[in-house]
Amino acid sequence: MSENNTILALFPDINPAADGVEKLQEMGVSDNDITVISGVPLTPAMLGRSHPHTNVSLLSLGGAVAGFCFGVFLNYGTPYLYTVPVGGQYITPIPPGMILIFEMTMLFALLATFLGVFLDSYFPNYRPLEYTPEISDGKIGVFFKCPAGEQKKFIDALSTLGAESVQPVEAQQL
Amino acid sequence: MTAASESLPHLEKGHAGPHEAHEDIRQYLMFDPKPRGEMNAMVMESMLTTSWKFWVVFGILAFLVATCFIYAWGYMIAEGLWVAGVMRPSYWGIFLVNTVFWIGISHAGTFISAILRVFKAEFRRPFTRAAELMTTFGLIQAGASIFMHLGRVWLAYWLFPIPNVRQLWPNFHSPLMWDLLAITTYILGSTMYLFLPLIPDLAMARDRSTGWRKTFYKILALGFRGTEGEWTHLHTAMNFFAFAIIPVMFSVHTIVSWDFAMAMRPGWSSTVFGPYFVLGALHSGMGAVAVVLFIMRVTMKHMDYFLRAEHFDALGKLMLIVSFAYSYFFFNDYIVQWYGGDRWTDTLLHWLEEGPMAWMFYQLIFLNIALPWLTLWNKKIRQTPWLLALIGLLINLGMYWERYLIVPVMLTINRMPFTWKLYEPRIEIFLTIGTFSLFLLFYLAASRLIPLIPVWEVQEGQMAHSLRKVGKTHLPSVSEVDLTMQ
Repeated sequence: MSENNTILALFPDINPAADGVEKLQEMGVSDNDITVISGVPLTPAMLGRSHPHTNVSLLSLGGAVAGFCFGVFLNYGTPYLYTVPVGGQYITPIPPGMILIFEMTMLFALLATFLGVFLDSYFPNYRPLEYTPEISDGKIGVFFKCPAGEQKKFIDALSTLGAESVQPVEAQQL
Repeated sequence: MTAASESLPHLEKGHAGPHEAHEDIRQYLMFDPKPRGEMNAMVMESMLTTSWKFWVVFGILAFLVATCFIYAWGYMIAEGLWVAGVMRPSYWGIFLVNTVFWIGISHAGTFISAILRVFKAEFRRPFTRAAELMTTFGLIQAGASIFMHLGRVWLAYWLFPIPNVRQLWPNFHSPLMWDLLAITTYILGSTMYLFLPLIPDLAMARDRSTGWRKTFYKILALGFRGTEGEWTHLHTAMNFFAFAIIPVMFSVHTIVSWDFAMAMRPGWSSTVFGPYFVLGALHSGMGAVAVVLFIMRVTMKHMDYFLRAEHFDALGKLMLIVSFAYSYFFFNDYIVQWYGGDRWTDTLLHWLEEGPMAWMFYQLIFLNIALPWLTLWNKKIRQTPWLLALIGLLINLGMYWERYLIVPVMLTINRMPFTWKLYEPRIEIFLTIGTFSLFLLFYLAASRLIPLIPVWEVQEGQMAHSLRKVGKTHLPSVSEVDLTMQ
């Protein structure tokens, strides 16, 4: 089994980048071995790629449920631990409790969403990564893995499609 | 990736009609794209360029913060609340006025960023961050003002539900407790909402920096590269935040209004206080955004490219609409109380109209209602940045007077005439100057540390815009490029 190299093809625009991705797929590169990096969000449809899975929505929902439960506990549980009877008033009235439950639900949902981005994107990540600063200047980078012996074939194919540079890359400190 | 420029119609020389249309369309940011590298360079230069004037203003603000905020607050903590003007019957003085005012200012950030994002209003793109910063910095001032009002600020932890040996537990049925929870939720939520769309721009800054700035941006960018997965997670989260932060925003100022409306006092006990406060908050916040955008445009390099007449025009329209809604609730609140015939409410209203604070009442009406109605219908005024900023500033003055009348003045006219005594602020004046200075100082520091223009959002917008040929002309059109819609 030959060793795989990571190659970076830099494209000036979306169309040649999408063509490049299509060409790589035709040449047998698995979709999992292709990563497209850009300075603006590009939809998977633009690049002919499948939609990346994200757990963020699920985590938001989980956060909301946890917040709701916490709000219920604070409002309808803790007053019995520290009971303060006030002339005939209910210890745990429902209408004012709705406010606390709403705020806790939203707070936990927002926190879980924020943490979801960190978890799904593996943030913070300060290890060396494959990258080039030209990407945030508007270039589109297509990273892919290919067998070391077939490197030239891929470089030629992508250069023909308009890649400005196609070369092996090493992970570097960002 | 300059989709908008590429899709502009190819025009032959001497073809006067379309050529003029071509030139005209470039007055809009979305149809005047520059290469991404150039836009990045412009934003970086705007952060890195500081003249001596900047440092003079920075120094003055730092001095004011040191004296009017830190020293004055320290003095009040050491001496006690007697150095302030709050006393019977006005136990809530300027501290609460400032709290309500700053929470109001903070609402514009969420409104502009979240509501306009949900409705995909394209003009929002270059100034969402400037507005979001107002939310975070404004809420810091609001929080500080509440802590000042607490007096014994070191006991603030009593507000939190921490199991304790004091046998004291927060009363969750109190509007003051709701305040704490709502403001905490809002400040955390809006800060996270500020940070998420900032990550790609911090990565851009990281790629273009050296020295301590490189380290600073590297830490904050969290290793962001711009992979499809990172963008998808970010977009999903931002979409959720945009929807979720809106009810939180409404809840915060409604709860602030309940601090007043839940009490059976003349002027306060009103069922429309919730929406009235929310609209008032938006009114002052919109005005503050106009002021901030104008200051950014005249003091920071290249901002005239990003912040154009079209943006001030759109903001002016929003200010006008909000002033309509504000006027509606103001009148609604006033007429119901006026008609009610309650003796003490009548006394209060007469006192507002003819008493020693009547000048404030009439200024409120003029600055918050008459001024925007008389001016903002005019496109030329809306498109003139300094004029819009001036109107925004005056609206904020009017809104400050409104809060002043609601808090200490309405506390003065109560059902016990023998307690009537007009509130006279003392150290609160310095502390107010301190909070304003701190807000400006934060903004000034942020303008040199983080990209105030969301470059990637601007470029995303420019990619989505194109000219579509319809008959003999080309019409602007915008495509759906939202990741979450796929």
